[in-house]
Amino acid sequence: MRLTYSQIQGELNSRDLAALPPLRIAVLRNVVVEPIEPYLRYFAYRMGCNARCEFSDYDNVFQEAVGGHKGILDAQTDCVAVFLKLETLSWDLARNFAGLTVGRIEEEADRIREFVSRVLVGIRQKTNAMILWNSFELPPHPSLGIFDYQQAHGQTATIDQLNRFLGDALSDHRNAYLLNLNACLARVGARSFYDLRYWHLGKAPYSREALEEIGGEMFKYIRPLKGKNRKCLVLDCDNVLWGGIIGEEGLAGIKLGKTYPGSAYHEFQQEILNLHRRGVVLALCSKNNEADVWEVFAQHPDMLLRKEHIATARINWDDKVTNLTRIAEDLNLGLESVVFVDDSQFEADQVRQCLPQVEVVQLPSSRAVEYRDILAAGGWFDAPTLSQEDRHRGTMYKAEEARKELQAQSRDLTSFYASLEMILEIRNVDEFTVSRVAQLTQKTNQFSLTTRRYSDAEIHALSESASADVIHCRLQDRFGESGLTGVCILRYERDRALIDSFLLSCRVLGRGIEDALLVQCMKRARSRGCTVAVGEYRPTAKNEQVKDFYPNHAFRRVAGNPELHYFELDLTSFDGLEPPYFHRIDTQFQYRAKVGSQ
Amino acid sequence: MSTRERVLRVVSEVLGRPVASIDDDSSPDNIESWDSLKQMNLVLALEQEFGIRFTDERIVEMLSVRLIVAAVAQLGPQANSDSER
Repeated sequence: MRLTYSQIQGELNSRDLAALPPLRIAVLRNVVVEPIEPYLRYFAYRMGCNARCEFSDYDNVFQEAVGGHKGILDAQTDCVAVFLKLETLSWDLARNFAGLTVGRIEEEADRIREFVSRVLVGIRQKTNAMILWNSFELPPHPSLGIFDYQQAHGQTATIDQLNRFLGDALSDHRNAYLLNLNACLARVGARSFYDLRYWHLGKAPYSREALEEIGGEMFKYIRPLKGKNRKCLVLDCDNVLWGGIIGEEGLAGIKLGKTYPGSAYHEFQQEILNLHRRGVVLALCSKNNEADVWEVFAQHPDMLLRKEHIATARINWDDKVTNLTRIAEDLNLGLESVVFVDDSQFEADQVRQCLPQVEVVQLPSSRAVEYRDILAAGGWFDAPTLSQEDRHRGTMYKAEEARKELQAQSRDLTSFYASLEMILEIRNVDEFTVSRVAQLTQKTNQFSLTTRRYSDAEIHALSESASADVIHCRLQDRFGESGLTGVCILRYERDRALIDSFLLSCRVLGRGIEDALLVQCMKRARSRGCTVAVGEYRPTAKNEQVKDFYPNHAFRRVAGNPELHYFELDLTSFDGLEPPYFHRIDTQFQYRAKVGSQ
Repeated sequence: MSTRERVLRVVSEVLGRPVASIDDDSSPDNIESWDSLKQMNLVLALEQEFGIRFTDERIVEMLSVRLIVAAVAQLGPQANSDSER
């Protein structure tokens, strides 16, 4: 990408950032890293947020984390970035290593472990925000030269061990990650990563290039935190999946294979396949004769991608804006979930202009050797966790197509539902499902009554609370598992149950699951001693479809305002009838005392 | 645009002040927001703008707009070839 300071400032100044939702980033550091701010603000703006960065005082990591010196960590913080550079923390380990005894090395490592642990606990006492802790950099030139690599107690080994300790310590906390600074260093290269002039002039070690790379790495974590990572990769075919034009050059003429020049496309397809296995949904959008394209998929000996990997395809001569819109509809995904890859400047510009929500990647067809790297470097699909649902998403969309066919054959909706043989499993959240439930609150936009976003840590805290229930459901039918796709959060106040969140993944809409989930949750509220349930509807740009959800389920509209509508259900006269078309509804709730009883 | 004008534009961008409020004598001494961080941002922005690289010894001397323009101009053909001619 390589943006200049002027380009970034220009872009940021020309937008009304104040209108975007805020993103608060607190930076704890023992070096000068303020110049990362414009990059963070830029990446935040690109994902639709207005970032505010607050820096601890210089070399005040402990004072801030433990003592709250400046008070930049609190419940509103979204992300805590920690820049703890070894040079400032331990000159001995970083630069004077050749002069240390094994005992002294251990002593320093112990001191650092103790320091890190206390800082981590300090941060967590103040905020549940995501923690991104930069690993210690491995020395490009170890103090003992190449001899270092032979040493069990060498500098490289010692720093490696400290990083492993850091990783373990962070993984003991929810929503806390070790940011791999050495990967950033490797991508940029040590000669460009550091600005030695400003390291000496102002304790600012990192170059602009380094800070842009680190900022990019941070946002691979922050995007999924805010549900802004992308889910679907839409691919052009000619000069993207293979070199040349199939309609002109034919099956034997296109470039694709294990040797040059086809090897560039082979590697690119492998990377696409890797994304598919991580749960990225693949689609084709190509101006071509459809039969020609499928012939390549079926017949070409070096195709890695197969028709079964492709969830949906629009291969025709219509414009790509229309086709992309249709693809998003086919898949029931928003355009803001889509990355579109094409080699044509014209197509790329048109999509950028008409569908600004789509991330457009224009591949340089004269440099196909770079395709793989461009796709891998984007990080658009990255997430720090990978759930079972993520891994199987690609195949789940295939099952969805089979369901649609069945629906087309069914006489009416109820008989269609019944023919699906649906089994719905309803449970309280547990340690295995916290992440997925949090992920759903972060990602779901359409079927979501309140669109409240929760982190792992917040869901975990709610699940332990005596005055709340976090309930999820899992669906299975004759075509396969849809996984964990529905969430309801109840908060209890005396005899009232407030439905804090109620949402369904767009993957399972239109099957009456919401009816079953709501009934079970209302029964749960009643069994916990509630007489009234209160539903809320918070309108957003995307959840219009649920505006009448509560009135349609016998709730009575009560007070409210345009931002928040309230509905009530009298649980004492609630019939608790389950929808008739489920094969089985399997509900098991944790034992919990009635609310209000001691 | 002359080298001087380009420098003034970058200074104004980095400091977030109108170009008109900046002249050759502007310096960290008479512009309050021009602190050491802004100075660093300014140097790096100028390097990007002109495709040049200052030495650390040069950087510590760049203490006013006049001195900055001189430092940029001295760094060779890229800066000069873009000047007013």
